[in-house]
Amino acid sequence: MKVYRAISILVIALLLTGCEDKTTPTPHIPTPYIIDIPFGFPTELNIPIDNPLTVEGIELGRYLFYDGRLSGRTHPDSLMSCATCHRQEKSFEAGIDHPKFPGGFPFGISGLHTHHVTLPMINLVWNKTGYGWSGFLYKDNPNENMRNLEDMVRLAVLAKDELDGDTTQIKELFQSIDGYPLLFEKAFGSKEITFQIIEKAIAQFIRTLISSNSKFDKYMRGEEQLTQSELNGFVLFTTEEGADCFHCHGGYGNPLFTTHLYYNNGKDTIFIDPMDRFSISNDPMDHGAYKATSLRNIELQGPYMHDGRYSTLEEVIDFYSHDLKQSPYINPLMHHIINGGIQLTPNEKTDLLNFIRTLRDDEFLTNNEFSKPLKFPDE
Amino acid sequence: MRYSIITVLIILSVIFMISSCCEGNIEPEAQNGKLSIEFVHYNNGTELIFDSLAYTNEAGNNYLVNEIQYFISDVTLHKPNGSSILLNSWSDIHYIDTDIKETKTHTYRDEVPEGVYNSISFTFGIDEDKNQSLMFVNAPESFMFWPENLGGGYHYMKLNGKWINEIGLQAPFNFHLGIGQIYHSFPDSISGFVQNYFGVNLENEPIIIKNTETTNIKLIMNVENWFSTPHIYDHNYWGGDIMQKQDAMQQAVDNGNDVFNYTIN
Ligand code: HEC
Ligand code: HEC
Repeated sequence: MKVYRAISILVIALLLTGCEDKTTPTPHIPTPYIIDIPFGFPTELNIPIDNPLTVEGIELGRYLFYDGRLSGRTHPDSLMSCATCHRQEKSFEAGIDHPKFPGGFPFGISGLHTHHVTLPMINLVWNKTGYGWSGFLYKDNPNENMRNLEDMVRLAVLAKDELDGDTTQIKELFQSIDGYPLLFEKAFGSKEITFQIIEKAIAQFIRTLISSNSKFDKYMRGEEQLTQSELNGFVLFTTEEGADCFHCHGGYGNPLFTTHLYYNNGKDTIFIDPMDRFSISNDPMDHGAYKATSLRNIELQGPYMHDGRYSTLEEVIDFYSHDLKQSPYINPLMHHIINGGIQLTPNEKTDLLNFIRTLRDDEFLTNNEFSKPLKFPDE
Repeated sequence: MRYSIITVLIILSVIFMISSCCEGNIEPEAQNGKLSIEFVHYNNGTELIFDSLAYTNEAGNNYLVNEIQYFISDVTLHKPNGSSILLNSWSDIHYIDTDIKETKTHTYRDEVPEGVYNSISFTFGIDEDKNQSLMFVNAPESFMFWPENLGGGYHYMKLNGKWINEIGLQAPFNFHLGIGQIYHSFPDSISGFVQNYFGVNLENEPIIIKNTETTNIKLIMNVENWFSTPHIYDHNYWGGDIMQKQDAMQQAVDNGNDVFNYTIN
């Protein structure tokens, strides 16, 4: 691991120095932030050229992510931040035990419920396919304002069922808060705050939310052994005759535990959600299809599925085991449909669950660098 | 494994430095051209229509194809005099995905000496030496990983679709090829593995490579042939999944010999 890290730093250093340009440095050059690629993870990252990660940008992004005034309001009753719905201890989902949102079904500042339940923010820097349950933000979107995490910040701020804010009002508010203009200057070279820079800073912070230290990661790196039950569960997870989860949810060769692709996994027979994958792709096979989410930290991410129909992982496993629904749209990878499901025995269900629990990464859930800052810039 | 990633990184950085900082002092190599392959998918002689139940295989299964994803490696051009040129740069283990346009043409990185070649051969899948777990960490290739306990490495192919089964239901089939297993007792005890990759040799029109030019050929997968000659492959008999059924994969391998042909563009 060390060797690997050293080499990647070396390579990056070579790249940076190889062709230096000879311009004189400006006073506020932010410090580049380099992501160590964890063992087995993709080397290709989704970082736009016009928003490279910097230590100062990430620090600013973290303040903004947690600052309830991002709604553009200052009254204590109407504060809302990204962290209101994306909580670190829930892998940046709302969580089924959310203090304000019963059952984990969030609503925005105006009381309007979100159309789907939350998605986690975990290893999103490796998502090059699309964001949102339907993948409505994607690289080649003809609408240039609907492409990447930067756009998600704006959409969340504007959405009636989320922060319901006004970008002009928000940038003016932050301009007036002591300490913020200086942080903007350190990170982006100017004290003058624009909403675009707010988007960039928060997107930078989100890109650093990396989980790669679960029990399973340690097993992959040869640092820890799995129990017999966990190993049985792993075999079930990655065999067609077993539970066959890996084609959509990854495994040893795809440690993101998702393909970031969209499938109809056989929950329904009638599809009326106007915001499924079909609404984006217009491919008739995509009726009722949604992103197969990463199963990392999944035990904390209930309620489950885009509509939060299951509260526990046990219910999810029961569904895959014997409650699949046939429809013309079910993805072919759900070949167990002809038996109504994977038909696990009670012991096998326990093993599968124990394996899925090895994907919990406590370090990620408690990492201080990801958590709410102790003080905001004006405190 | 770690070492091969490191090696790739080092090679990449060296290439980067050479190409970005020493421009202008490399003379173009003489007498070499390039080969570009367009990958197309047919059924019964015409371009395959996806998600359409328009097809019936030799066993009488009425079926549709949803997607095809596969690897082709070790592409080699042969001359009548017996000499040949192997295009085997690491990036020339090529992944084709019928849903990803960019993968459906590939210009080989290795240069090809000028001349007339009368046949082309390749490995369907990836050979034993190269087929190592974690050699593709990036998508979409990484999604092809073949589970460790079933032999590791990568799927050679995923051909996913549905057929109308004996009781008239649309049943999914995952016609997946990769390393097979020999079971001591199914499914828990594996006593050995079977490498199922296979060589394909095609001879048709001569392939002419000209200096500094790229020659385009069309490699055609005739999907229906996966299910016939020498074996009549019946989805009703084998069921929806075959990764753990070496007998089924062996039939696919045997049938695979006449699946491809090529034309010059
Ligand atoms: C009221 C709750 C709520 C708030 C506040 C909120 N979000 Fe979300 N977030 C959601 C929901 C619900 C989804 C799933 C949206 C969908 O696809 O239907 C989501 C999805 C996302 C995703 C997509 C993750 C993925 O894997 O595709 C990102 C990124 C995100 N939010 C960022 C933010 C940011 C940045 C903020 C603050 C500016 C924010 N959210 C505030 C509820 C919220
Ligand atoms: C054909 C692809 C596919 C297969 C195979 C598959 N899943 Fe899923 N899975 C999905 C999709 C798509 C979703 C999201 C569906 C939705 O939200 O409506 C999902 C959702 C889930 C969720 C809830 C995620 C969340 O954030 O709420 C869990 C847990 C899960 N799957 C576990 C499994 C397990 C365990 C298996 C094996 C038994 C499995 N899946 C097999 C595609 C698949």
